[in-house]
Amino acid sequence: MATVAPPARTPLSRVSRDIIGALWEPDWRYRTMILVLLAILGWAGFAWVYQIKTGMGTAGITHPVMWGVYITNFVFWVGIAHSGTLISAILYLLRSGWRTTINRAAEAMTIFAVMTAGLFPLIHLGRVWYFYFLAPYPNQRLLWPNFRSPLIWDFFAISTYFTISLLFWYSGLIPDLATIRDRMKRLSGRMARFKERVYGALALGWHGSDSQWKNYRRAYLYMAAIATPLVLSVHSVVSWDFAMAITPGWHSTIFAPYFVAGAIFSGIAMVITLSVPFRWALGLEDYITEYHYDNMGKLLLLTSLIVGYAYTAEYFMAWFSGDQVEWESFVWRATGDYAGPFIVMVTCNVLIPLLCFARKIRRNIRAMFVISIFVNIGMWYERFVIIVSSLAHEYIPGAWGLYTPSWVELSITVGSFAWFLLWFMLFAKALPAISITEVKESITEGVWSPGDKKEGA
Amino acid sequence: MSEIKRRDFLKILGLSGAGTGLVGCTQEPAKKLIPYLVQPEEIIPGIPSWYASVCGECPAGCGVHVKVREGRPIKVEGNPEHPVNAGRLCSRGQAALQGLYDPDRITGPLRRVEGSEEFQAISWQDAEALLVERIQALRQSGRSDRLYLFSDSSVSSLDRLFDLWLGAIGSANRIIYDSFDVEPLREANRLTFGLAEIPRYQIDEADLVLSFGAGFLETWITPVQYTRLFASSQRYQAGRKGRFIHIGPRVSLTGTNSDEWVSARPGAAMLLALAMTRVLVAEGRAGARGAAIRPLVEPYTPERVAEATGVDAETIVRLAQEFAAAPSCLALPPGVELADRNAAAAHVAVNLLNYAAGNIGRTVRFGPNVLRRRPASLDRLAVVAEAMRSGAVQIALIHGIDPVHTLPPALGFADALENVGLLVSFASHMDETAARADLILPDHTPLERWSDHQPETAVHGLMQPTVNPVFDTKATGDVLLSVAGQIGGDLAAGLTWPTYLDYLRDSWGAVHRDFAPFQSFDEFWREALARGGVWREAAAQPVTLNPAVSGVAFDDSTLDGGAAEPLTLLTYASPNLYDGRGANKAWLQELPDPVTKVVWNSWLEIHPDLADQLGVRNGDLVTVSSPAGRLDAPVYVYRGIRPDTVAIPIGQGHVHYGRSASGRGVNPLTLLSAATDRASGGRAWLSTRVSLAATGASVRLVEAQGSADDHGREVAEAITLAAAAEADRHAIEALAQNPDALVEASEDADPKSPYRWGMAVDLSSCVGCSACVTACYAENNIPVVGEARCAEGREMAWLRIERYYEQAHGDTGHGPEHGNPSHEGNGSAGSLHVVHLPVMCQHCGNAPCEPVCPVYATYHNPEGLNIQVYNRCVGTRYCSNNCPYKARRFEWFDFEFPFPLNLQLNPDVTVRQKGVMEKCTFCVQRIMKARSDANALGRDVADGEVVPACAQTCPADAIVFGNLRDPDSRVSQLSRSGRAYHVLGELNTRPAVTYLKEVVRGTEEA
Repeated sequence: MATVAPPARTPLSRVSRDIIGALWEPDWRYRTMILVLLAILGWAGFAWVYQIKTGMGTAGITHPVMWGVYITNFVFWVGIAHSGTLISAILYLLRSGWRTTINRAAEAMTIFAVMTAGLFPLIHLGRVWYFYFLAPYPNQRLLWPNFRSPLIWDFFAISTYFTISLLFWYSGLIPDLATIRDRMKRLSGRMARFKERVYGALALGWHGSDSQWKNYRRAYLYMAAIATPLVLSVHSVVSWDFAMAITPGWHSTIFAPYFVAGAIFSGIAMVITLSVPFRWALGLEDYITEYHYDNMGKLLLLTSLIVGYAYTAEYFMAWFSGDQVEWESFVWRATGDYAGPFIVMVTCNVLIPLLCFARKIRRNIRAMFVISIFVNIGMWYERFVIIVSSLAHEYIPGAWGLYTPSWVELSITVGSFAWFLLWFMLFAKALPAISITEVKESITEGVWSPGDKKEGA
Repeated sequence: MSEIKRRDFLKILGLSGAGTGLVGCTQEPAKKLIPYLVQPEEIIPGIPSWYASVCGECPAGCGVHVKVREGRPIKVEGNPEHPVNAGRLCSRGQAALQGLYDPDRITGPLRRVEGSEEFQAISWQDAEALLVERIQALRQSGRSDRLYLFSDSSVSSLDRLFDLWLGAIGSANRIIYDSFDVEPLREANRLTFGLAEIPRYQIDEADLVLSFGAGFLETWITPVQYTRLFASSQRYQAGRKGRFIHIGPRVSLTGTNSDEWVSARPGAAMLLALAMTRVLVAEGRAGARGAAIRPLVEPYTPERVAEATGVDAETIVRLAQEFAAAPSCLALPPGVELADRNAAAAHVAVNLLNYAAGNIGRTVRFGPNVLRRRPASLDRLAVVAEAMRSGAVQIALIHGIDPVHTLPPALGFADALENVGLLVSFASHMDETAARADLILPDHTPLERWSDHQPETAVHGLMQPTVNPVFDTKATGDVLLSVAGQIGGDLAAGLTWPTYLDYLRDSWGAVHRDFAPFQSFDEFWREALARGGVWREAAAQPVTLNPAVSGVAFDDSTLDGGAAEPLTLLTYASPNLYDGRGANKAWLQELPDPVTKVVWNSWLEIHPDLADQLGVRNGDLVTVSSPAGRLDAPVYVYRGIRPDTVAIPIGQGHVHYGRSASGRGVNPLTLLSAATDRASGGRAWLSTRVSLAATGASVRLVEAQGSADDHGREVAEAITLAAAAEADRHAIEALAQNPDALVEASEDADPKSPYRWGMAVDLSSCVGCSACVTACYAENNIPVVGEARCAEGREMAWLRIERYYEQAHGDTGHGPEHGNPSHEGNGSAGSLHVVHLPVMCQHCGNAPCEPVCPVYATYHNPEGLNIQVYNRCVGTRYCSNNCPYKARRFEWFDFEFPFPLNLQLNPDVTVRQKGVMEKCTFCVQRIMKARSDANALGRDVADGEVVPACAQTCPADAIVFGNLRDPDSRVSQLSRSGRAYHVLGELNTRPAVTYLKEVVRGTEEA
């Protein structure tokens, strides 16, 4: 395959060369990685088929804990999906220039995370072969889904979010796709012609005219405006899966803002976690710098404080309400059989991110990477704690019981990471991982240029 | 080449479309149903036939109605007319179907392969020929007495045929065997009243019941009857409730229903009863009767026995005074599990107490006696075993009993069987005895055979086949007659009946002459068959004190074991498995033990203090050693047992006996010597001391319940009698003002519907026996999941009984002495109060499960039922998460019903597929049936026409079902009771199930 080597005349062309240059010719490490991911995915697929064939009992979920790791994963991945839109849409509207180098990857992450999250409601269905009962489709029984059920709200919230995110991501890609198409024109060979045609079709006839730019900018702005409320709505709706139930530990009005903050928190953490190896592997160190981690660290700290506040508020409300069952449920959460996950959750989500108060740590990429890993773990456990410890210890003491995930659940959980990473790897080699257009814009507008570690003058 | 025509094309399209549909769908494709070509006259598909019969699961002889659909028995229910059980059954009776359809049943006659453990199938002809040949050989050698016949103790025509047959053969060696004999009771009655009979205890007429330990709500004599009688006086009604005091070392299921538990040393019953009698006599409360017994009881002052019994003198005096002061009272003997080497004397002591209180002829009634053949004592069995060892037993025929499993190995009976020339078993199941047999001639199970059973003086139950034999089995009566015919000669001359049925009809000639001499026999027989037998009230037998009673020696009982064995071992009949015969029925294995809630296992009950001392927790294996043997059993820490006593249930520890039973738990008989009661020869179960040693290992002990404490959440509620009466007064006043008032839950149905179905559960009636649970399994095709799945929490019971240790709340300061239940130590006022709470779907008017289902698989129907639509369910399980009662169950797998258990499935109830949610439906199929019957008559369903399986079988009548929209229905009336409450009512779920608080009557409350 031909290597694209754009002439290094101007910084702008360097941008194109760097970013597009990262796309071609995967090396053996990349191929091995893909194979490993496919193997894991295959194993998880086997586990799922086994579960469908044998029954949900192959998972550890049981009476009374009927939701377990699957729903934990669902909420976790939906949460991950949040940073993309936040970074793209909200920061775009707020004119935060530093977003330009990470928004593309974050948006891709959003889409892949939603694709991962969307699998779990299916995986967790007792009779997955009737999944379409959940969709409002015309049928002979004249039955519609139950619009009172938060699970139906979920169905709409997630599908809306996925659609908007995909469109938003795609619109951002159009000028870049056109750039790649144009690069391909200079190359010869059948592969180049093929790529030219594919990227050309995807670029929708973009040729960078003034009127196109004008309409494009307007459309992008509106899209950002449409996407912004979704950041708040999706995870609010997801949180209502729990808040609308009367289960002690779930039934709480704080859940919507608490979950949204948690989602952004985990999303930012995932962006950090992914971007560190990503900038190294694609040689984009100059594009994603300490400056970006500093800013993301601040966001992480803010959302961590909100999440910490939510934890405290939950306990305060449980105590203040005087509801005996609620209070016992919360005390048990911290001291009972699931005290371990609870401690992990508080440590990772509340205590460790406090390090981000230090500017030095925020600007230390390695430290941020480690912190982000902790946050990812902590946020997964947060969902686990909320779901499992609440269900295990409900109203009727005689029906209390415990839950331990089975190998099927763990395989599928690991498989979900493989699935997500696989898409992300494919993305990194197929599409410009950094918005060429926006980076160039930043440079010309003097906001920031590659290699800058501080906000430019 | 042929062209495809348009029609062909459409056909192919349709077929391939259907094929694709089938492949895509994981449900099994529908199978062809073939209707009767020539329909039998008496069978209408879809309409069940009911046959009256007698339950054969224990010697109590309850009458049953067997529901047969298209030739298959699918449900057993009590015969409402039958005097023993009045329409109710226990869980063992409900599980009789699993005996019939046991997948590991012996499917035909078997012969042991010489010198091997294996059996080979042979034909009935060959099997009988073999037996005939051996008997003839024995007769020719003139040693007919070397033929022994072992059978159970029930009084029946078969029992008489055994005697006849054996007599004709020329052998007198008929060995009657009863694993839980009541010989000490019979002997005590002979000693005290000169009548060796088992009387009827009128528990229903006693205001105060004082039990010295008999498990009369579990297995003792006739538990279903006793439960009914107990509930009728012990439930709260109109401001009154009987009082029940349980005295003994352990709180059994029976004990959990007591108002007070007096913790006494094992074997203390005799001294306590004597001391209490003495108090009565000394205080002149025994009237003229006192004089006769005064010399007997004089030495036993409360102070003197306090030390030996572990009950302080004050308590003894209080109990005696309370007993005497009660308007009517009844003392019940120690029963089977507390029978020690001096059991007859203990029973005499209790008789004296009853006598002193004037109960004989009132609450203790001779005349309507319980009938059992007198079983051979263990001493006699030891002699038989010796004879077997010496080769003096050439042929042993064993019917209806499993001595190998139910006798202590110390007796050597099982080993001696090896020396029997030809050991013939008539077992239907491969029990431990059958597994040692040389020849197995499997009998029909009780549901397949003609038979009869006379459990009481004037009660003759008649059994008829309800199904063609499932396997190639043959009634033992027929085998004996056939063998006699083949031997011929004088033997055949005395036994001329061609079939057992002919013999049975003949045998009923006497009953006919007795009951209906002016009716033709055929008519009488037909009526008896339809009714399930004939019965009448037996005349009372007046009894007087037998002068011989003065000769009774009230000696101390002795226990095996010395100083090295500090703890007394209590072995008790498992309420689910009886003597072990229930162990092959998966329903009974999976039914949580009513007290410990353990499933599929054995356990060793020890007091928390003792557990601390040993450093063990539930499930830790402990080695139990007695002079007779040792075994390892998992610990179950139980507050309801004294620290000086440990207990193991009897029933598990089978090596054979089918997949559900074999290799499960331990058989505590290993620890017992062949001890007998000195006076009666009955078995002494309380006969040994043991020592414990922690092994460090532990096993999975599966408990079906989470916490045993309701954490003050008012889930299971108990109140004092005074508080109940107070609440009742308010309720009656309110009702008087508004007699047509309906309970709130009645609103939660379609305004046009005449019905809102609801249920009332009276916790003051419920004894926790769990018969309802098994009935629910039988009615609703609930799969059994096995121990491993139970451990994961995947049991499928739609109805569970939760057992909570609960204190009674009340306004009066004089409530029962319910101190801290866990640390009463050796104190005599140890108390433990238990509330049994049946939990099923509450069919909430404002059901949390309904709004959360995304596909409307669960919804509220116009009659107020919370409906689960299996076909619509996709299995999100959200409904279960949102059910505060956790009443929903999920089909985690496609659970199996191994052949022929699948024949038991109720065709009116869906067998659920994996991946769907299910729960109690209030037996909606029964509601539909009643409604369609009523519609056909152009009227509404009347009260009592719909009876769900649980309510139908409840021996205590604790569950009442009906229409909440009818202010006069029983359920409406109960739901308006002052004791009514909703579990978690504060959640505003508006349940259709109303619970009536348990009532505890304290010392000073009358």
